[in-house]
Amino acid sequence: MSMKGFDHGNRGIGVRNHQLILPSVVCSTRVSSRIAREVGAVTFAHQHGCGFIGNDVGRITDYFAALANHPNVSSTLIVGLGCETLQGNELADKLLTKNKSTNYLVTQESGGVAGTVSSGISAARELSANFPTAQTVLPRLHLGIDLSNDDFKVDEIVAALTEVGVDITVAASHKNSGLNFSDLMEAGVHVILSFPDPNQPPSGFPLIPTINVSSGSPLHLAIANDFDLGPKAESEEIMEKIYNVVNGELTKVEAIGAGEIIAAREVRSV
Amino acid sequence: MLPILMRKVLILNENDNIAVCLVDLEIGEVIGQDGLNLTIQNRIPRGHKVATKNISKDDGIIKYGERMGHATSEIKIGEHVHTHNVLGDRLSTEQVK
Amino acid sequence: MSDQLKAFARPDGRWGLRNHVLILPLHSALSATARKIADASIGAVGVSHDWSGEVDGDFARITKTISGFAANPNNFATIFLTIGTPHELAIIEVAKKIGLARAEVLNVAEYGSMAKIADIGLAMANSLVKEANLQARVSAPWSAIILGQECGGSDALSGITANPALGVASDRLVELGAASVLGETTEILGAEHLLAARAITPEIGAQIIETVARYERSINYEGIDMRGAQPSRGNIEGGLTTLEEKSLGAAKKAGSAQFSGVLEYADQVPNSGLYFMDTPGHDTEQLTGFGAGGINIIVFTTGRGTPTGSAIVPTIKVATNSTMANAIPDLIDLNAGTIADGLKTLAQVGGELFDLILEVANGKTTKAEKGLHHEFSLSRMYNTVIR
Repeated sequence: MSMKGFDHGNRGIGVRNHQLILPSVVCSTRVSSRIAREVGAVTFAHQHGCGFIGNDVGRITDYFAALANHPNVSSTLIVGLGCETLQGNELADKLLTKNKSTNYLVTQESGGVAGTVSSGISAARELSANFPTAQTVLPRLHLGIDLSNDDFKVDEIVAALTEVGVDITVAASHKNSGLNFSDLMEAGVHVILSFPDPNQPPSGFPLIPTINVSSGSPLHLAIANDFDLGPKAESEEIMEKIYNVVNGELTKVEAIGAGEIIAAREVRSV
Repeated sequence: MLPILMRKVLILNENDNIAVCLVDLEIGEVIGQDGLNLTIQNRIPRGHKVATKNISKDDGIIKYGERMGHATSEIKIGEHVHTHNVLGDRLSTEQVK
Repeated sequence: MSDQLKAFARPDGRWGLRNHVLILPLHSALSATARKIADASIGAVGVSHDWSGEVDGDFARITKTISGFAANPNNFATIFLTIGTPHELAIIEVAKKIGLARAEVLNVAEYGSMAKIADIGLAMANSLVKEANLQARVSAPWSAIILGQECGGSDALSGITANPALGVASDRLVELGAASVLGETTEILGAEHLLAARAITPEIGAQIIETVARYERSINYEGIDMRGAQPSRGNIEGGLTTLEEKSLGAAKKAGSAQFSGVLEYADQVPNSGLYFMDTPGHDTEQLTGFGAGGINIIVFTTGRGTPTGSAIVPTIKVATNSTMANAIPDLIDLNAGTIADGLKTLAQVGGELFDLILEVANGKTTKAEKGLHHEFSLSRMYNTVIR
């Protein structure tokens, strides 16, 4: 089966064509969401970017760089505040060497909220105009599997997918799907197949379509409509769903617009 | 007393050995207010501190009449007092830049 | 009763300065639904967070924060979105115990899907907003005001202009019978001896010292290098050199009143007197902890300018310098930089701030409220790296 893709230059070929408005700090989330809403881009709330210390400075910077460089992203506009630990301009400089379709704005230097929102809208539109995305064919799918429900046996589906040439990264180091999603995002997966814990609802990652498979637990049965696949989904059905999603079908979580992000932290905030 | 508007620097407490600059100060500018008589030795941005006394290495830096850290090198009257020549006494083994 | 202050009376005797309908997800996966309901509603507010019910070292801190925030007296009602776990249902019970009069619960497991609770939640939110709009403000005592003090993006003028002006306003409110709370343990380190000397008893003084010492031990124990976080790069550019210097200036917010007690993060604040609350310096974590403690109005002094606000607690921004206040006027409610410009005295600006606090308490909207800045962050003490 052929898979549609979007050519995102140095970021790679993605299965979605998202412009990312990335708030480098929690204080910029409102400004980012106003810009994103206006230009139809993706943004999200997060709790990072300030008051973190030690090893986390490098860790969170790398995490944001991975977000901005993800293959599903067409271009990235970073929105900083100006006084945070993770400076938007430094992040942008780091990214620019890899991807020219990156820009940044600083609220404290752009005339406040109104000024930043209007400059942000122009900057985002300019990025889209200067870096148009060409449709192409996805040569090789990189699938992420979130195995926060470790009772689930995925050997069969992994074998079936591997056989048809799909690259697979499994994240199983956290009980929390959100943290596994972040690991998978950093690995650059195009699509996530999530097997949430029986006591957890389905969830997703903002830039990456996330297919949720029910465990058949009482909670999962009660909200069966929020799952893309039922507990008895066979490999064939799962594979068909993956191909449909790659080719544009929205997952349940994508349709809701869900997607908080959480990056792992080593130390307390200050 | 001069109104604050006419001041280039602000002394917060009579025991302080620094003053806060209210305007950007250039090398060679002379400050002659509130009993001070000093010549600015480095370019000092608004909001930053200038030494109002000669400060020896390891001496306390006094602001609001309280100790806010110590000198890591000798600081002469009129010089910029900041992270390049001051360290906090607590929790900051070394400052950025 | 003060004839100057009018507020919303809550059934348990607390006072709200706002009459919000809050949409509160108890699980991160319901955050998007909460946002969706709030955005579509005729005036309800919503928050998002990233907690998924983990029972780890931060469990008690997080559940306390969420339940306290739900029960803030500025909430006319809170609509909880839940997946129905015992832990989530317990949060609702704690909120009711604190005094939340109107708790509505939408359990996704009962309704079958997120889309369904989005629909029902929207109808419910709109009907509650209409009901809230019918409630009138009535004369309230000064103790109805529970003021939170915050500073963020500090510069060298913070300790000379905006912070002492807040100190003037806080002293006056405390004297009248209101409560006022200083937070940010990171930012009193180096000034704690001055604050402890103002405690009403030696025990409370010792508690202030111990709270800072505990924080200092935890940082030293973890062997963390504070470089780059405190003072932040923005602080250093602004002219602040050391953490102690920042603290000496930050402590000016608390004026000269005596300290009546020390509170843990998100503890419920008693209704009069000056208190110290152990909160992190992270602006939104502190703002959220204040909201969880029942603080119903916040003054936030800033040298760099920050848009941060709370969904439920009006946040007044006071600029420390005129350059910033003039450059980004849509973030700033009052410019205390006029003190450094020599245009006004500290007493004058302190008086203006007192008047503004009263106006905002009576319903005047702040810049952060107008801009719909509804930041919310859960404060965590433990790492998330290891499973």
